[in-house]
Amino acid sequence: MKKKLTITLAVVLVLGAAAAYVYYGVLYKEGRNIAQEAATHTLPAAKLVETYTTNQQQADSLYLNKTIEVQGVVTAAQDSVLTVAGSVFCSFDQLPDRASLNKTVTIKGRCIGFDELFGEVKLDQCTIKP
Amino acid sequence: MERIFVTLLFLATSCLYAQKYTTKTGVVKFEASVPSFEEIAGENKTASAALDTATGDMAVLALMKGFRFKVALMEEHFNENYVESDKYPKATFKGKVTGLDVAKLTATGGSYTVSGDLTLHGKTKKVSDSAKISKSGDKIVVTGEFEVTPAEFDIEIPAVVSKKVADKVKITYSFTLAK
Repeated sequence: MKKKLTITLAVVLVLGAAAAYVYYGVLYKEGRNIAQEAATHTLPAAKLVETYTTNQQQADSLYLNKTIEVQGVVTAAQDSVLTVAGSVFCSFDQLPDRASLNKTVTIKGRCIGFDELFGEVKLDQCTIKP
Repeated sequence: MERIFVTLLFLATSCLYAQKYTTKTGVVKFEASVPSFEEIAGENKTASAALDTATGDMAVLALMKGFRFKVALMEEHFNENYVESDKYPKATFKGKVTGLDVAKLTATGGSYTVSGDLTLHGKTKKVSDSAKISKSGDKIVVTGEFEVTPAEFDIEIPAVVSKKVADKVKITYSFTLAK
């Protein structure tokens, strides 16, 4: 009798754990946390733009959807966006420090592609590296 | 080298055109929810848009990876299975606003027909809708919505989930354009 109860309990526990795994681990898993991810590429902002203007497909295969770090001078700051070296558009989830304007910074973010309308490379979920 | 020159030329001409209003932080949302099922919606807050008020030409570019979802798995499916954003990283619209006259724009806004070509997932389709265009200070605000179907852009919705994804996808946009 006692053995049966233990087995039932074990089965329920395993099923419960499996359900919880599917629910939190697959269906509602956490998204990427770019701020915590290690960058796969670190390069000057101007070099990133140059790579994109020379060959978009090749640049996409190198950088698209990757967490990258770019270095350069912040040339514009508006709301949640900092522009680095005139043509790397970095959008932040948290308002960035406006004091970084005209300073050289390293920004980590996810490369989401090239915008031909303005000739800019766009990064999102950015953070400024201290 | 040639591309850099073309880009420079483009920048130079866009500087000459003082009638050009632009934004880099336009909002484009899409929704394909079915009532009583989980919400299917994504939002892109970094769409670029340009409006030439002299000719009425309008261009919009939204990077597909820039669409964010509440549910991470949904974002993954959107990118990998539906729009295939590694292969087709952007959606673009090139079109015209009919009868636009900046001098007549008001704060309350008026309706204008916007029509043109929408390109996404490697397919181009003509779309047309009625946009509300208003002026607030020195900015022009363009908002509107239209519907498309995934089939029009060769996007296949698997039978298992087709009941949970609406046949018509509603796309809404809002651009606050500055000179």
